[in-house]
Amino acid sequence: MIELINLSKQYTAGGVVIDALRQTTLTIPEGAFLTVMGPSGSGKSTMLNLFGLLIQPTTGTYKINGRAVSSLSDNATSRIRNQTIGMIFQSFNLLAHLTILENVCLPMQYARIRRSEMRRRAKALLDRLGLEGRYGSRPTQLSGGQCQRVAIARALANNPPVLLADEPTGNLDEKTGIEVMNIFTELNRDGKTIILVTHNPSYERYASHRINIHDGTVTLT
Amino acid sequence: MSLFETILTVYASLTRHFIRAFLAMLGIVLGIAAVVAMLAISEGGKRGVIDQIKAQGIDNIIVRSVEPTTANASATATRGIKMFGLTKADFEHIENTFANVAKLVPIREISTEIYAGQVKTDITPIATTAELFDLISCTIMDSRTKPFRDANEGLMMPTCYAGIDAAIKLFGHREPLGKTIEIGGTSFTVTGLVEGLNQVRIGGQYNINNAIYIPLAMADTIWGNTVRARRGTAASATEFDIFYLKVKDLAGLSDTVDRLKNYLATSHAENDYEFQVPYELMHAAEKTQRIFTLVMTSIAAISLLVGGIGIMNIMLANIFERTREIGIRRALGATKRDILVQFLAESMVLTFIGGALGAGLGIVTAHSAEWVARMNGDMTIQAVVTSESIIISLIVAVVTGITFGTYPAWKAANLDPLLALRHE
Repeated sequence: MIELINLSKQYTAGGVVIDALRQTTLTIPEGAFLTVMGPSGSGKSTMLNLFGLLIQPTTGTYKINGRAVSSLSDNATSRIRNQTIGMIFQSFNLLAHLTILENVCLPMQYARIRRSEMRRRAKALLDRLGLEGRYGSRPTQLSGGQCQRVAIARALANNPPVLLADEPTGNLDEKTGIEVMNIFTELNRDGKTIILVTHNPSYERYASHRINIHDGTVTLT
Repeated sequence: MSLFETILTVYASLTRHFIRAFLAMLGIVLGIAAVVAMLAISEGGKRGVIDQIKAQGIDNIIVRSVEPTTANASATATRGIKMFGLTKADFEHIENTFANVAKLVPIREISTEIYAGQVKTDITPIATTAELFDLISCTIMDSRTKPFRDANEGLMMPTCYAGIDAAIKLFGHREPLGKTIEIGGTSFTVTGLVEGLNQVRIGGQYNINNAIYIPLAMADTIWGNTVRARRGTAASATEFDIFYLKVKDLAGLSDTVDRLKNYLATSHAENDYEFQVPYELMHAAEKTQRIFTLVMTSIAAISLLVGGIGIMNIMLANIFERTREIGIRRALGATKRDILVQFLAESMVLTFIGGALGAGLGIVTAHSAEWVARMNGDMTIQAVVTSESIIISLIVAVVTGITFGTYPAWKAANLDPLLALRHE
C-alpha cells in the first residue's frame, strides 16, 4: 500500500516558487492499477519522481507499506529503488553499450545476486516478454516495442511489488502501445501495483484507479 | 555491486573507449617510466660508487702520507731531504699496540719510470707485502703464479707481480709470466698477474691493474730501506706512502680510527698524513646517493603529477558524457557508494595499467641509456632495476589514480539522480 499524507513539492525557478504538487493525501491499495493523467506541466512527472524516490517532498509523508520513506539515507532509498520499485521510462533508458541481458541484470547486480542466478532470472524474464534468443542483442538492434519490453524485464528483475511507468507507450505506435499495456495488465493480474503516467485517455480502461492532476492539484476518481 | 561485477563493469567501460583510455594513461606511463628509469640509473650509480669503495675493503683503514704545505720540516730533515709522512716507527707502533688491527700492510711508491721499449708508461711500481692482496678485492691470476716473496732473498733474482693492464702495456698479448721488466736499473721477473675491479685505486691512488708490485723487503734491499725521493720534489721524501690496515672487528672500526688519529697527532709534528676509511666513505656515498635519488625522483614525480591531472581531466569528461548512465544506475538502485567505487576503480585500473606499462618502458629506457653510454665508451652509467622500485612505482601509480580519481568519482556519486536521468 502506498500512502501520500499532505505531500507537497515546490520548486524555485528563477526566484519564482512553483507548486508542482499541492497538499496531496492519497492512498493507493496494493495491487491497484493507477493511471495518472493531466496536461503537460501539471505535476504528473513530479508525482512519479516522488513515488520513485528520485526527489524528496517539500512537506508531508510518503509511506510504502506503512513505512515512511521520504527522508531515508541514500543507502536505504537506493535499496527501495532497487527492491520495492521498478521504473520504466518513456525513452526506455537502456544502456546502449550493454547487451539486453546485461541491461536486465543491472538491478540484480546492485542487489548482489550471484552471477549465474542473475543471468538465469534475466533470461527467464526476457523469455516471458517474448525476447528469447535475443540476449546478446544491443538495444540499438531492437525496435521500440522490444526495447520497452527489455525495460519492463529490467524493472521486474528484483521482483518489486510496485512498477512505475512514465509514459511507457509515448514512443511507440498504437499497436505496440497496446501490446505493452497488455503486459502491464498481466503483471497487475499477478499482483503488481502499477502506477502509469500517460497522455492517452484510452488507457484509462486498463486502470482500477485514476488520478487527474491540474496545476499540482490531484483528483482521484 | 560485487567486486567481480565492478571489475567487469570497469573492463567494459574502459574497452569501450580504448583510444581514450590509452591517451588518459599515457601521462602515467611516461611519469612512471621516468621514475623507474631514474631509480634504475641512480641505483646503478650508487652500486658503482659503493662497489668502488667496497673494493678498497670495507673493514680497512687507509692512512696516506701527505706532504705538508708548510715548509717547517727541519725537525725531521735528514741529509738535507725533507722527511714527512708515515714512518717505520709508526708501522711498528701500530703493529705492536693496536689490538683491533688484524693486518697492516705498508706501501711505498718506487719513484721511477717504467718503459715499454722506448716509450715511457704511466705504470706505477709500488713496494708492498703479500698481505695487500688479501686486503683489496683482487684475483691473482694464473696457476703458475709463484708466491709474492716477502723475505729478503737478495738480488739474485728480483721478482714482481704485474697488474693486468700494466702487463698488456708492457708485453702486449704475449705471455707476461717469466718476462722481465727493468725498474730503476734492476731487472725484475714477472711471477704473477693481478686483476682487480676496473678503475679501482689502491688507497685511492694506484690503479690496481696498472701497477707493478715489488716485495717490500726486496725494494729495501735494492733502493734502501727507509727513503725514496718522491717524484717531482726531490728535496722531500717519505718512508711509506700508505698504510693499509684491516680491522678484526668492524664494530670497533671507529674507535681504532680515533686511536690512530690520536697516536699520529702526538707522534707527528705536522699534519702530514690523511685517513681514508672506506666504511665511512660508503656511508657518505650512500647518503649523497639518497639525496640524488630523492631530487631526481621528485623531478620525475612532476611528470606523474601531470599524468594524474590528465587522468582527472579524462575522468571528468567521462562522467559528463555518462551522466545519463549514472542517472539510470541510480534509478535502478545503485547507491552513491556503488557509483563512487565504479569510477574510482576505473581510474585505479587506468593508472595501474599505465604504471605497469610505464615500469616496462622505464626498464627499457634505463637499459637503453646504459647501452648508449657504453657504445660511447662511458662505463659509469649502469641501470639496476630493483623489485622495490617496480613495486613502489605501481603503488605510486595506483595512489595517483586514487588521488586524481576521487574528485571525479565523488562528483559522479553526488549527481542528482533525477537531473542525471534527464541529462541529454
